[in-house]
Amino acid sequence: MKISLKSRIVSVLAVTALAGTVVVGAPTAANAAPQCATASYVTQCAGVGADGAPYSFIAAANFNGTVFLYSHGVRPPIDIPATLAPVGPYTKTNAAEPGPLATSDLSVINKLVAAGYGVAGSGFSRQGINATEALAANKELIATFKTKFPTTKTVIAWGVSLGAMHSQKLAETNPDLVDGVILACPGANPQDALMTYFGDALWGFKALFDPSIMVGGYSTDPDTRRDQQLDNVKKILTVLGKLSAGLSSGAWPDTASPGGKLLQSKGVPSRSALLAVGLMAGVSTRSKHVDGTSGPTGNAETYPLAIAPAVAVLENMGATLNYGTLLIADGELLAGGKVFDNTKTDYAARVAADADLFSFALSGNTAVTGIMDVLAAAPRETADPAAVAKIPGLVGLTGKITKPTIIFQAESEEFVPASIVQWYIDGYAEQYAAAKMAALKAAQKSGSYALPASNLVVLWAKTAAKYSKFTAAGTPDLTATPGAGTGHCLFTAAQWLAAADLMTTSLQQGKLPRGAKLTLAARKVGLTYDSKFRVPVFKSLQ
Amino acid sequence: MIRINRRKLITTSAVLAIAALTVAAVPAQAFNPSMADPGITGSTIKLGITSPLTGIAAPGYSKIPGAMKAYFDYVNTKGGVNGRKITLVSKDDQYIPTTAVAKANELILRDRVFALVGTLGTASTKALTASTQLSKRGVPSLFVNTGWSGFADKKAYPTTFSILPSYQMEAKIMAKFIKKEYTGKKLALIYQDDDFGRDALAGFKTAGLTFDTYIPYASGSQALPATGAGWISKLKTAGAEVTVLFGVSSASTAALANAYGAGFKTQWVLGSVGGDATTIAATSKNYVPLLNGAKGFSFAPAPTDTTDDYIKKFQEIYTAAYGTTQTFDNNVVAGMSNAFLVVQALKAAGKNLTRKGLISAIETKGSTFASPFLTPLGYSAKAHTGATGYWIGTYGPTGALTPDGGKYTVYTTDSGTGPVVESTYKRPAMPENGL
Repeated sequence: MKISLKSRIVSVLAVTALAGTVVVGAPTAANAAPQCATASYVTQCAGVGADGAPYSFIAAANFNGTVFLYSHGVRPPIDIPATLAPVGPYTKTNAAEPGPLATSDLSVINKLVAAGYGVAGSGFSRQGINATEALAANKELIATFKTKFPTTKTVIAWGVSLGAMHSQKLAETNPDLVDGVILACPGANPQDALMTYFGDALWGFKALFDPSIMVGGYSTDPDTRRDQQLDNVKKILTVLGKLSAGLSSGAWPDTASPGGKLLQSKGVPSRSALLAVGLMAGVSTRSKHVDGTSGPTGNAETYPLAIAPAVAVLENMGATLNYGTLLIADGELLAGGKVFDNTKTDYAARVAADADLFSFALSGNTAVTGIMDVLAAAPRETADPAAVAKIPGLVGLTGKITKPTIIFQAESEEFVPASIVQWYIDGYAEQYAAAKMAALKAAQKSGSYALPASNLVVLWAKTAAKYSKFTAAGTPDLTATPGAGTGHCLFTAAQWLAAADLMTTSLQQGKLPRGAKLTLAARKVGLTYDSKFRVPVFKSLQ
Repeated sequence: MIRINRRKLITTSAVLAIAALTVAAVPAQAFNPSMADPGITGSTIKLGITSPLTGIAAPGYSKIPGAMKAYFDYVNTKGGVNGRKITLVSKDDQYIPTTAVAKANELILRDRVFALVGTLGTASTKALTASTQLSKRGVPSLFVNTGWSGFADKKAYPTTFSILPSYQMEAKIMAKFIKKEYTGKKLALIYQDDDFGRDALAGFKTAGLTFDTYIPYASGSQALPATGAGWISKLKTAGAEVTVLFGVSSASTAALANAYGAGFKTQWVLGSVGGDATTIAATSKNYVPLLNGAKGFSFAPAPTDTTDDYIKKFQEIYTAAYGTTQTFDNNVVAGMSNAFLVVQALKAAGKNLTRKGLISAIETKGSTFASPFLTPLGYSAKAHTGATGYWIGTYGPTGALTPDGGKYTVYTTDSGTGPVVESTYKRPAMPENGL
């Protein structure tokens, strides 16, 4: 079924008006029946789940039996003041999101509802790392939706970032409740690699640029823990500002560690050290405003080689370090102790393969060796084994794909590496190979062979070759439109709808599309289908 | 769902088994376009190259794709290879590894080339090989223009073939020469501080040569004015009597020009990559005479050696393509030699050309290919090594490198601990019509 603006029983205009303006009175009592309002054939409901999680859902009179259950992305678990811009201002909220882009662009929700689909989403009772709460809320919401719309036959779980983890988790633990899965820039895997990624970046940053920055070990007292996080964010922003100011000159922040100061005395530019930290963690060397190949007028030849990779890491590092701070602190709270451990990490091995590719920006092998020597001598972080053991339960997945699944992902992600998607791809390749082997074995007994259905399609937002714009001063223009395939989950309504369309069509036809049809559908919305495309796996898993 | 029954499975297995047994006996079949690898039809072969046409490494190197194209065009006028005419798609990567990745992706996915040829630079070639998953896709990467020894490792780079002797080989041969000619002199080494230089350091170490002064520089930093001045200052302080420069030609330019400006004299020994007069002249023709008296290394005949059959033919082809407006130099010889070897490989792969067949042909027959090089080729089923040695010469005031002793004395070795020995290699004669 095509999701389009074509006339349906319900007009798009009517839905737009409803979704944008009608406020449904939500019951305040947990687990009460949802309050619903119907206008212009569209029914909107809102309620509060058993654990206090607000939810909402919408369907029209032409509801076709398929509902999209949305899981929103990560929201910080603490308020962040405006003084910490651009991270703040943020006020903690549990507001329900029934679909993608719900806070900025209602067109996805509207078009789906107009086409006869239902949409539903919870705000979850807890923010931060909330897999447990999200799983409970999603299961409950499916039941609630089905009670209100008993003709529901198909549930498509979709989510963004951390929400994609919730969608996958729902499919893994309750396959009976889910028929298809759409994961946008998924944000977790089962081997703690994402937490390690954040920890590596924070630790390298601390070890070179400001030893007072925290990697872990947050207080158990809520107020103190909150203040520590905010203080960390403040320090990170301050150091990033100083590194930004020293990009050309190579100047180091005055807060540099003794090791950092030693490197400074040897003439190693701070940008080379920053890039080394980014590379050892796996931070992308292309960012929203730095394509890595362009340079400003007068410096077009050397800028991409000498400066650009560090600038891109700097731009990506803000979100990486700040979300890393918030998520590690929250992880420690939930796990009951320190969760990041790098006592056995060989950072020199991590950057060995990258040293040549970014030789000028790293200031050559000798500088890289110097940086790695300083890091080797820096104090390491030791985790609490009991806490580490709890992490898979908090953010863990098996990655097993049993339902038709579409993933879409930016190649140069800002702070949730595309490596996660590579993990899904590699894991599914093994899973599918095993399924084929099992089918062959079965065929030897039964005499009949059925090729197992392939249940995974990955669509890439590949990073464009050139998109950087420069100011008259020769610095990247941060006000320019971000390049394709960069940033965090910067997917358009058209891309979300294309994924939804592919999924609904697949469920009707019993198999995911392949080949030219899929290639064309992806290309139409600026995505790429390339089954052989790979991105690096997590540094910690290499 | 594809359903087949058990009987069909058994039948299929039997057919496959018979096919495996009889494949050698089956006569060559007609080319089937629907079964072909990308970039190939019954009458064409599309190849791709990404290299620096602009940017810091463009001077000199930008001539390589044009030289390759001139040779391919010449081959096409002779009917092509096994009836197929060759087209070369050339992309500019500015010597930036990330750009090289993007361009290689364009060549493979958009232009759908049959193979990559002559990609240039260690970092760029490593980056594009890894990022585009050449080996996983089975895309041949023929005769990469870098001497990093790692590319000869078939296990790590199963579809990539070197063409240049490795930097380790060069350093070992250079070390033997220096030990013999400059005993007791104060030695200095300026080297590119990446895999290029790391290979050289490994070769010098293997050969037991140590320097009094080591000056590393980050690749690309030679473009900054202060870099060359800094080297000369260090060389002066160290009193370097013999200075080896293991870097690209733009680094040689920076070193020679700054030495001249500072009135500093040393015996320059230039690695093969950095001793290109045309590249140096691209910065300023005034710098070319500064090469005079410097020692240099090469594995191909000198571009000025018109007594050499290959050079003579290449000059003829190049002049026919571009007239006399462009200098016939080392870069042209490099490009045409590269294209020449590609043609030998395509010929060896036969009419039923496939990517796998091409790789297999180089592995099994590559060491016997005709080539302009004065050293043996090291291709085998175990290693993807290209040329394996060097001759030593002296630069004259025009930048021409002529062999010491008036003839090419070629030394050969390996990238390991093998000895440096004088080569007895007899180069195959230029094939008829230069094909």
